Amino acid sequence: MKKLSMLLFSFVFIAGANFAQQKTKQGHTNQNKFKQLKDELATPNSQHTASGAPGIAYTQQKVDYNMDIVLDDDNQRIYGNETITYHNNSVDKLTYLWVQLDQNMRAADSKTPDIQPNKIPTKLSKSRFDRSFPSEAFDGGFKIEEVTNIDGSDLSYTINQTMMRINLTAPLPSGASFEFKIKWWYNINNHRTQGGRSGFEHFPDGNNNYVIAQFYPRMCVYDNVEGWQNDQFWGRSEFALEFGDFTVNITTPEDHMLGATGVLLNEKEVLTRKQLKKLAEAKKSFDKIVIIQSQEEAEKVEKKRATKTKTWKFKATNVRDYAFASSRKFIWDGMAVDINGKTVMAYSYYSREANPLYGDHSTKAVAQTLKTYSEYTFDYPYHKAISVDGQMGMEYPQICFNPGRPNADGTYSDRVKYRMIKVTIHEVGHNFFPMIVNSDERQWTWMDEGLNSYMEMLAELAYDKDFPITRGYPKNIVKYMNGDQSRIAPIMSKGDHVYSFGNNAYGKPATALWILRETIMGKELFDHAFKTYSQRWKFKHPTPADFFRSMEDASAMDLDWFWRGWFYTTDVTDIGIQSVKKFQTKTGENDTVEFIEDTTAGLTFAKKDANSKFHYEITYNKPGGLVMPIIVEFTYKDGSTERKTYPAQIWRYNDKEITKTFSSEKEITNIALDPDLETADVDTSNNSFPRKEQTKFTQFKKKMKG
Amino acid sequence: MKLHKNFLILLFITLMSFSAHKYYLSLTQINFSSKSKSVQIIINVFMDDIETALNKDYDIDLQLTTEKELKENDVYFEKYLNEKLHFKVNTIDKKFNYIGKEYEGELVYFYLEIENINAVDQITISNKILVKHFPKQENLIKSKVGKVNKSVLLDAENYSETLKY
Repeated sequence: MKKLSMLLFSFVFIAGANFAQQKTKQGHTNQNKFKQLKDELATPNSQHTASGAPGIAYTQQKVDYNMDIVLDDDNQRIYGNETITYHNNSVDKLTYLWVQLDQNMRAADSKTPDIQPNKIPTKLSKSRFDRSFPSEAFDGGFKIEEVTNIDGSDLSYTINQTMMRINLTAPLPSGASFEFKIKWWYNINNHRTQGGRSGFEHFPDGNNNYVIAQFYPRMCVYDNVEGWQNDQFWGRSEFALEFGDFTVNITTPEDHMLGATGVLLNEKEVLTRKQLKKLAEAKKSFDKIVIIQSQEEAEKVEKKRATKTKTWKFKATNVRDYAFASSRKFIWDGMAVDINGKTVMAYSYYSREANPLYGDHSTKAVAQTLKTYSEYTFDYPYHKAISVDGQMGMEYPQICFNPGRPNADGTYSDRVKYRMIKVTIHEVGHNFFPMIVNSDERQWTWMDEGLNSYMEMLAELAYDKDFPITRGYPKNIVKYMNGDQSRIAPIMSKGDHVYSFGNNAYGKPATALWILRETIMGKELFDHAFKTYSQRWKFKHPTPADFFRSMEDASAMDLDWFWRGWFYTTDVTDIGIQSVKKFQTKTGENDTVEFIEDTTAGLTFAKKDANSKFHYEITYNKPGGLVMPIIVEFTYKDGSTERKTYPAQIWRYNDKEITKTFSSEKEITNIALDPDLETADVDTSNNSFPRKEQTKFTQFKKKMKG
Repeated sequence: MKLHKNFLILLFITLMSFSAHKYYLSLTQINFSSKSKSVQIIINVFMDDIETALNKDYDIDLQLTTEKELKENDVYFEKYLNEKLHFKVNTIDKKFNYIGKEYEGELVYFYLEIENINAVDQITISNKILVKHFPKQENLIKSKVGKVNKSVLLDAENYSETLKY
């Protein structure tokens, strides 16, 4: 009989198999969420190694600039005469050089406005109307007067929109340098009415505050990742720049106060005796801000107009860019900051319209940024960092332009204060990413904005432990990540192409790093790896792969699944509790233990056996595409709680649902997932068992109505 | 020749995106609760925008979340929402109760409720929140009735829509 049943069984089995085979099975490629990123990341080489560090063959071009700049306040123009020395440190022979002409984004023939689809709106504010429908076209863009060899002879060049190719007569060999000159000028834009990442602000009394950047033709990056950086400046995706040394002489009206990248070489020529004395005081003041040019003094200066000029002489070593701010309206204050025994100066330049907001907080925010960022990356290597009342938020080496002004009566709300401090910390923080850890902003906005937005959170919390952080916490990104998928791009998208720029390139990557540190890796492993990446790539050009690899290499954590989910997809976190079965045990026959299921609804046992523990079989489901750890909080009958975190790898065999047991001495009354909102779970309605029916609405109504 | 709307495309220069990147969006979540027989509405808007709009419209100085915050300001919020927001449930005009507001970061949340609704076939929403002072304002509506989710993006021109379930 037994034989027969076996026979029957095998018959059924084989027949079943045959039946199934009638439909040819289709195979599949590796779709596992834990699949390694080898297809996505560039193959490691001796420049960008598999560990994420620069390799033995790593090279980087160097570009030195020698510039004479004249700021014409009467006509809001700037004139420049520059000598560029290009050092070809690569192993390649270069037949041409590419120069960036960023100002051409504002030229009459700029294609930037042409790629913005638009409709006629019903109504526009007057200022926006004037900006979008100017009465006369702005004559912007570089006016290139001469491009010459060092001996003055003409140099062949070709301009393609925001870039200019220098056509070399003989190829530039590896290790050689090429020196050439460009003479140029341009009309400065009013950044308050026309917008911009630099420009001037005009005041009713005729004064102008200048915040000047992208003001000189500057070399494109050449490397073995992109070749020559060949993507036009459309206005959004920022810059890729080489390090070098700058010698800059800036001629301004004699009564201007100026702050700029670099060491001021002739302070005795351009500052008054009183300013010099106050400056010396500031350099020794580590706890109190010293006012170098007071509001009273600035108010006196701004009422007059000097007819003479003066020239400010600067030398900036190993910086990737140059910027300055100049106005007769500027108040100037400063404070010394101790960075591991080295004194760095924190300065602010601001007009009376920005005081007392700037006087109260700007320099303090600069100092805090230098301290916190230095702690988590590397000691700030430059001698100063400046914040300017530029009424935008833009960053350059050693200097940045920030927003925020008080009311006319000098009062300001907490929101105005915190926003100004927040942006100041953010822009000063950019000194680290990307001014020093010099990623390619044109390609990857998140590499500087995302890392910087994460670091900004740490500096803000150090500035004020109750700082109202608006971006970076997991719960704050839920609305974006749970939005319309047709309007969301993966983080690993080029900045010019992403929707919801702020969330895509700032908020989401900052959140991802916050989650890595707080929930996935832990502070110690994360901080060490993040520091490793920062130190490896300071004064170099890292790529996304260098960041991903360094974070794994320095922590012994394979995070490919995390990068894949958070950076390469638009998947969301949604983990829920699908069902719970509960059991107690009793001694069975033949030295066994039997599990007896209590099939009543809910978590409470109908009958309790004091000799048995409480055993639960919990099925977790995952409607969301992201794999994340399962963080469970069990609440016991006595009110005490216990947490258990299952690593993300629990999802490696089944991406949809997994079942896991949990045993306890005490009876459980409630099971909750992600109780501290650490994972950016987009739907928390399935996060508790028994289900909590109370919605946000009913909770609020109950609170209001009592 | 058919004159297409796209013919009238004109230049809008919206280039800049700094750290404090600014966009203009509100979210209205509408949910029908069969248990409480009501349509429950949560609206979130940017605090500084709603403050600017109310200050201009009613000549007040709200100073939200500061020590100088205008007291008993709910009366203005309720007035504003009654002016800018209108609902029809099953084609009949319905008034909403203003339950209250709360602040979270840069956002203000409003809680509104339309009571005595037994069933919902369709909701018409007219939403002109913030569009007067912020021409680029978009108002996203998400709704859930039973198991049906419907959403629509409204703006200054298209400020009204009927959602059917």
